[in-house]
Amino acid sequence: MRSRKKLVITVLACLGIACPAYFAGNLLFFGFPEEGTDYPGTLLPFLIILAASAAGIILCVFLRRRISGTERIQARASRTGRSGAKDLIPKQKPSVFMILRWGLMIVFSFFMIAGGLLFGLRISSLSIPVLSCPWNREQMAEASCYYLSHLNELFELPLTDILLFFASTLGFTIVLGRIMCGFLCPMGLIQDLMDKLRQKLCMNGFTMNEKRYQAVKPVKWCLLFLFFGLWFAGGNFCNFCPAITVSPILAGMSTSLYVSGFLMILVLIGSFFKRRMWCLVCPLGYLVGLLHKISLFRIRKDCTACTECGACYEACPMGIKLIYTERENTDVTDVNCIMCGECIRKCPEDNALSMTFAGKQIYTASRAQVMSSYQRNLRKEER
Amino acid sequence: MQTEEQKSKTAPGREPQTKYLREQQKKQRQQQRFIKKETQTAARYLGRLEQLSGAPAAMQPFVEVLRRIYVEMQGVETDRPTIGTYCVMVPQELIYAAGAQPVKLCSGNYTAFSIGDDLTPRDACPLVKAVAGFQHTGLMPVYRDCSMMVVPITCDCKKKIAGMLRDSVELITLHVPASREDADMEAYLRQLYELMERLEAATGSPISSGSLAEGFQMVGRAQAEFSEFIRLRKSSPALLRGTHSMAMMNASAYMSADRWADAMHGVNLELKERIRTGEKISSRSLPRILLTGSPIVFPNIKIPLLIEEMGGLVSADETCMGERGMWDPAVITDHSFNGMLRALANRALRPCPCPTFADNTQRIYRLKQMIRDNEIQGVIYHVLRGCLVYDFEYRQIEEELGKLEIPVIRLESDYNEEDVEQLRIRIEAFIELIKLRQEPVRRTGIRESF
Ligand code: SF4
Ligand code: SF4
Ligand code: SF4
Ligand code: SF4
Repeated sequence: MRSRKKLVITVLACLGIACPAYFAGNLLFFGFPEEGTDYPGTLLPFLIILAASAAGIILCVFLRRRISGTERIQARASRTGRSGAKDLIPKQKPSVFMILRWGLMIVFSFFMIAGGLLFGLRISSLSIPVLSCPWNREQMAEASCYYLSHLNELFELPLTDILLFFASTLGFTIVLGRIMCGFLCPMGLIQDLMDKLRQKLCMNGFTMNEKRYQAVKPVKWCLLFLFFGLWFAGGNFCNFCPAITVSPILAGMSTSLYVSGFLMILVLIGSFFKRRMWCLVCPLGYLVGLLHKISLFRIRKDCTACTECGACYEACPMGIKLIYTERENTDVTDVNCIMCGECIRKCPEDNALSMTFAGKQIYTASRAQVMSSYQRNLRKEER
Repeated sequence: MQTEEQKSKTAPGREPQTKYLREQQKKQRQQQRFIKKETQTAARYLGRLEQLSGAPAAMQPFVEVLRRIYVEMQGVETDRPTIGTYCVMVPQELIYAAGAQPVKLCSGNYTAFSIGDDLTPRDACPLVKAVAGFQHTGLMPVYRDCSMMVVPITCDCKKKIAGMLRDSVELITLHVPASREDADMEAYLRQLYELMERLEAATGSPISSGSLAEGFQMVGRAQAEFSEFIRLRKSSPALLRGTHSMAMMNASAYMSADRWADAMHGVNLELKERIRTGEKISSRSLPRILLTGSPIVFPNIKIPLLIEEMGGLVSADETCMGERGMWDPAVITDHSFNGMLRALANRALRPCPCPTFADNTQRIYRLKQMIRDNEIQGVIYHVLRGCLVYDFEYRQIEEELGKLEIPVIRLESDYNEEDVEQLRIRIEAFIELIKLRQEPVRRTGIRESF
């Protein structure tokens, strides 16, 4: 009975996604005039999205405080805190890995958006599978998503272009795998920034659990299906994809927005409360993840060092429970793993988790890293 | 005879009064006897602890705390209200955040045990009997002074003692789930919110993000020092004795995390100095033993004491008043208030290899890990008489360790000194067994000629 109910809800939800996706072209969010607009004017839809998201977030917080009791306790706890309380919250010392990750994300996103404008289109025929919208005709390298979601157009291209497309997409997938999600993707960056913002404000997030992660899965499959199939039915995934609101708009193209705009508002609100909300359902990321078995970046676990403390599972934005429960295999790379390294950073047992590239360890868990949160006090005492 | 009868006739109110007085006196005598016995036992064990060779000088602050609590019978040195806790599942951070001082009340006291024996069923565990005894006499300041007690329900004995304690002290129970699934953790988190409100009511000072963060800082620093200590403790040949280490851990029950961390820092410095100067606790290689099982609480430290007095070395312990109590840090993965509380709920349940959980295979992994890291040669499994949950797990652990060819024995003990001789014989035999299995070490060079 319960499973029947679940099935019905899932099917309804998928239909609820499929319908607007199919009719996306008829639901205009923001239209530019035919002749286009000049630079600052093109940012208007982006600003509208930001404003709407901010309003949405405030509304959510307000509603939650009215409904939830623990939320009220939390609100009071935050209010009665003395100023400077935020500085007291233990924070680990930044690791080289994390600095690199943030740095690369920012630099790469910048180049993907404005690189073509600044440095020319020299490598623009390479296709890289991240959600950095290629409607921005002037990005550094092409993102694979356009042709993957418009296979018909792909096969109209000259043969060399088709080959180059497949070679580069596959090459990136195998060599980098989903580390592109953790290190390069501009959509990922935006979501991480929203999460950072929330944590800076010390606001409660939306906590996920196994059940909820399970419930999200069908949405992911549904989106993957739409991603590949929409053009068959005469739709256009790009009118639905939230990523179109980022790169082209920021690069100064007047791209009219359809359902994408509304969806992006949801993504921003969602990722404010739940880190990497969109990545949980992103079809492109999932597609890359499907080939995780052969990609060179891997998450490894020394099961004999693990105490099953669950810190890695708590830290993982993608809700991968395997890294915490695994007790036999040394390889714990999962389809959903975006190689963000959060689990490794939060793991308190020396060497229990590590990230490897082609067998070489590049980032390893250590107790010293976790305990570095308290080093400030240690030093104070030392003085 | 006659005169007495007359007396009672003439002054009818007097007899009950004298009876009352007599009872008062009897009670007073009983109390004095209790105090005398209690302090004597504690002092004797402290003496043995200090006589054991290899005690670092920096251990003194810990010994002083134990002396203060058990021999001088004073309260915890703090100007905050104290909150009594049992088990490692009560987040100390939260109590510090409420401006209070947590005190661990699990007891190892023989004298209190003998009183509690009459108040509880025969098969109840001695730890709970001792708690009942202390609460009944009302003589122990650490118990008497508590503004509130927090009792996680980890076994039937704890559940019922919570019911008994409730009569005389403000008390909150925490329901400990039988597994560590997401839903269990969330349920525990909800209880922590409840605990938080009760703590605020008990201490009168509200918990805020800031004060909770401060709590984290205090406990975190203690854990950072402790991590360093464990790293040093693992070295072979050993730098210090397990009994001393367990006493230091025990003292943490009655010290503020700050003071404990400071004292621990001193010990760490001394151990590092020992590495530098090459000082060891013994020139021979002592049989390295892992002590695990039911809680070992001062002054019931007869087992580690016996092991080390007989020439063994407790080079690690997996007990809840020992290493388990502090090893696992609460890792904050989200900087919101809820995130911090979640970290506490997560730490309380997930890494804890307490046998209260139905499936506790992770304890076996933990033991194997400790055996590897500490180069353990034998495991002593301690069971307090009546402690069912630990006794249940013995078989499985014996089997698993058998596969590793690590010898294990099960020692059952009670809170008295009647079983000491028997324990001594068994421990001695066990240590001999390990020594036999040890590779014979050539102590002199090979003689080249006569
Ligand atoms: S709209 Fe989305 S799917 Fe379409 S090209 Fe842009 S990023 Fe790719
Ligand atoms: S999963 Fe996230 S990071 Fe990866 S491609 Fe999709 S949006 Fe980008
Ligand atoms: S498993 Fe680790 S690296 Fe992978 S997504 Fe989760 S936290 Fe990031
Ligand atoms: S954080 Fe490390 S020790 Fe904890 S469960 Fe994960 S891998 Fe194991």
